[in-house]
Amino acid sequence: MVEEGRFNPDETRVLGRSAADGRSNREILLEVYEALKEKGYDPIRQIAYYLVTGEPVYITAHRNARSLAARLERDEVIEELVAFYLQHHRP
Amino acid sequence: MSRFLIHGGRPLKGRVRASGRKNAAVALLPAALLAEGPVRLENVPDIADVHTYVDILEAVGVDVRRPEPGVVEVDASSLAGRPAPYELVKKMRASYYLLGALLARTGRAEVALPGGCDIGTRPIDQHIKAFQALGADVTIEHGVVRAEAARLRGARIYLDIVSVGATINAMLAASRAEGTTIIENAAKEPHVVDVAILLNAMGGRVVGAGTDVIKVTGVPRLGAAEHTVIPDEIEAATYLMAAAGTRGDVVVEGVVTKHLEPVIAKLHEAGAQVEYDADWIRVRADGRLRAVSVKTLPYPGFPTDAQQPMTALLSTAEGTSTVTETIHEARFRHVDELKRMGTRIRVEGRTAVIEGVERLSGAPVQATDLRAGAALVVAGLMADGCTEVSGVEYLDRGYERMEEKLRTLGARIERVEAAVTA
Repeated sequence: MVEEGRFNPDETRVLGRSAADGRSNREILLEVYEALKEKGYDPIRQIAYYLVTGEPVYITAHRNARSLAARLERDEVIEELVAFYLQHHRP
Repeated sequence: MSRFLIHGGRPLKGRVRASGRKNAAVALLPAALLAEGPVRLENVPDIADVHTYVDILEAVGVDVRRPEPGVVEVDASSLAGRPAPYELVKKMRASYYLLGALLARTGRAEVALPGGCDIGTRPIDQHIKAFQALGADVTIEHGVVRAEAARLRGARIYLDIVSVGATINAMLAASRAEGTTIIENAAKEPHVVDVAILLNAMGGRVVGAGTDVIKVTGVPRLGAAEHTVIPDEIEAATYLMAAAGTRGDVVVEGVVTKHLEPVIAKLHEAGAQVEYDADWIRVRADGRLRAVSVKTLPYPGFPTDAQQPMTALLSTAEGTSTVTETIHEARFRHVDELKRMGTRIRVEGRTAVIEGVERLSGAPVQATDLRAGAALVVAGLMADGCTEVSGVEYLDRGYERMEEKLRTLGARIERVEAAVTA
């Protein structure tokens, strides 16, 4: 049975950031990377296309990685990647 | 032939887990033909369409094992390449994926024009266009599609309409073609992405799935892989709608919530209380819902497969709802059956206009296709009295242990096998 008592009937809402437990983007990315690697996927390609499309299917459900990845601030990660790339490819 | 007997009018309560997605499983199984090594698929739903596909793969000469529930291992290392039998192919539309897979693997494919639910004309011209762009000769004679190519070459393929089947077939065929293929106006559905992920796990190079441009760089060989089928969002949507329609309180677990955003939005708009996280959704309703307007669209719009159960749900909503079907042309066949249960629905072109009634009453009804069957089950759960749903074989095509899952939520539903007459 569904437990009662923590439900606001007036709104539809997203709950819980509990899966992330305050983890940083870096910590989440590392955990997601390991989960993808464990399942035999190419973690870089999967994470890259998750960041580009936001499609959760790119991230395995193994080790709760898909839920964790949903906590990522994708725009922040992409901005940081672009900044890092430019910094390291400057003539 | 089986029937469901449903004693409705009871709120559904509890938790249920989504099974693997039918529309992904029936594309991943033929995709495994491309690998010269074993492919292990997990979270494969135990449904009739999967059984049929396994039979088809065995018939074309592939070794298929089911070592444990939910797992299918396909080993096409020594693919015999026998033709797919008509009596199996005609059972399901997704048998057309054999064309792309066999063409890429053996250079030749011969498959009877596919069957499936009768929900309107669904031509395969975009599939053929893709194969021809890759250099295949394609003919249709006596109801059989033949595709042949000494070598497939990468090409630019613009799909005239957004088609999940054509997108997946183009990806399958291009995965072992020479050079790079660009598929433009590609479908963005999650099961397109799921197939791309499997192809990549097998050693392929597919990028862009989930966007409207997919790039496939062909490789000479694909090999062994393991992959988990994504959750079935339509099954989840059906149980969420049944929860709202019975004024119940249900959590569906193991979903990808993002795939259900349009369903969540409409349930909320109709007055249901919805709570969710990344992989579960809870829906609760305390009274009559409000009328809403729904229009089906390609992903990420409201899914056509959820349209029919949504029509059933809105049949008791207060006010006048409209449901507009833009994907398939004959997808209101459930309406006449719903009318037997006291609904007030009229179909005007591609729109169902639903005048909400207070209560539905149980009646004998006939499922005419898979999702029409789902609509009748939802209506039966909402209705007073007993509803007898015939044509359960349609539901078995896409819903894993439906009656068992509903019983865990408190539904009174049983399967009755038709009596054998002498």
